[in-house]
Amino acid sequence: MRKAIRWALPLAAVPPLALLGFGLTRDVKTLPSALVGAPAPEFRLEDMYDASDSLSLVEHRGRVVVLNYWASWCAPCIVEHPELVRLRADYDADDLTLLGVLYQDAPERGREFMRRHGGEWPSVVDYGSRTAIRYGVYGVPETFLISPEGTVVYKLVGPLDPRTAPVFRARIDSLLAVRAAGGSGVEVLESADGSTP
Amino acid sequence: MPLLLAGTFLLTPPVAIGQEAPPAGAVALQDSVPATGSPEPGTRADQRDAELDALTAEIAARLRCLVCRGQSVAESSSQLAREMQAEIRARLGRGESPAEIVDFFVESYGEWILLRPPPRGVNLLVYILPAAAFLLGLAGIWWWLRSRRSAPPAGAPTAPANSAPDDGLDPEDRAWLEAAIREGR
Repeated sequence: MRKAIRWALPLAAVPPLALLGFGLTRDVKTLPSALVGAPAPEFRLEDMYDASDSLSLVEHRGRVVVLNYWASWCAPCIVEHPELVRLRADYDADDLTLLGVLYQDAPERGREFMRRHGGEWPSVVDYGSRTAIRYGVYGVPETFLISPEGTVVYKLVGPLDPRTAPVFRARIDSLLAVRAAGGSGVEVLESADGSTP
Repeated sequence: MPLLLAGTFLLTPPVAIGQEAPPAGAVALQDSVPATGSPEPGTRADQRDAELDALTAEIAARLRCLVCRGQSVAESSSQLAREMQAEIRARLGRGESPAEIVDFFVESYGEWILLRPPPRGVNLLVYILPAAAFLLGLAGIWWWLRSRRSAPPAGAPTAPANSAPDDGLDPEDRAWLEAAIREGR
């Protein structure tokens, strides 16, 4: 009995230590996403450049959609902006839609940001963050990759930068290849290397 | 146990590095929740508002604030938490039940958003481990007390090896018995 107790105490420390170790090895950038593999929530939101107009997700069905949540007050959004400009330039508008969603920001500030940093793609204004909440957004920037059929296949938390862009572009290329072959985005999800956040 | 708590704390994902929360005093945004107005106190609308507020707070208290640590959506004053409260209230106003609203947030953010995760799967560990640790501790204390009671107190005189066993025999009877055993009588 004495021997058993001598072992029991160190053994009791194993589960908490294992939990602690698991916590320490987690990458804080890979936040849980309940949406990957699920249909992208539909929305129709005010056009950032024209308050009398609105844009919806469904209009872009059939194309790969890069949905980028951003804000003018967000420093990492400035970091990722050149990468978005390159992304827009490298893909045909018939293949890929880059759509910004302005998060917790005013449209005039968003327009000023785009004037200052360049780039031409549409953005919508998410008043009250209602769409952001439906997409499970924590903060900005967050970027969703949506298949031509409207399934969320990837979520990038944090900026699209030289480190994260290759993975993101590889997913886009896979989606376009599958689309060209007549398949669906689910195949891209299933062929993912397991690093889906 | 403190280690367990530390581990649980570490499992709580903070706002990711490279992401930003809005600055304090960020632009006030138009709220998409329909205005309910400010009816006179005591009116039915006022009562309905109070009920919706109470339900909103109740649901918000079950949800984790996404941009802070250790706070519920009800407690947080962050903009996202306020927007989530507005979303809850708007959904209640549309007639959704608290369970449907909680499900909506779980669909968007996963079960992680629940401050009390449902007791199933890996979540069961959260419920079982503390109880198991408590029972183990109780067992340890019981064993320690028991072994302490049965052991002779430190410094107590020990019986000499050749002393007579306490079997209730008179020394005379014992001497006779021992002699009889020796002689095989």
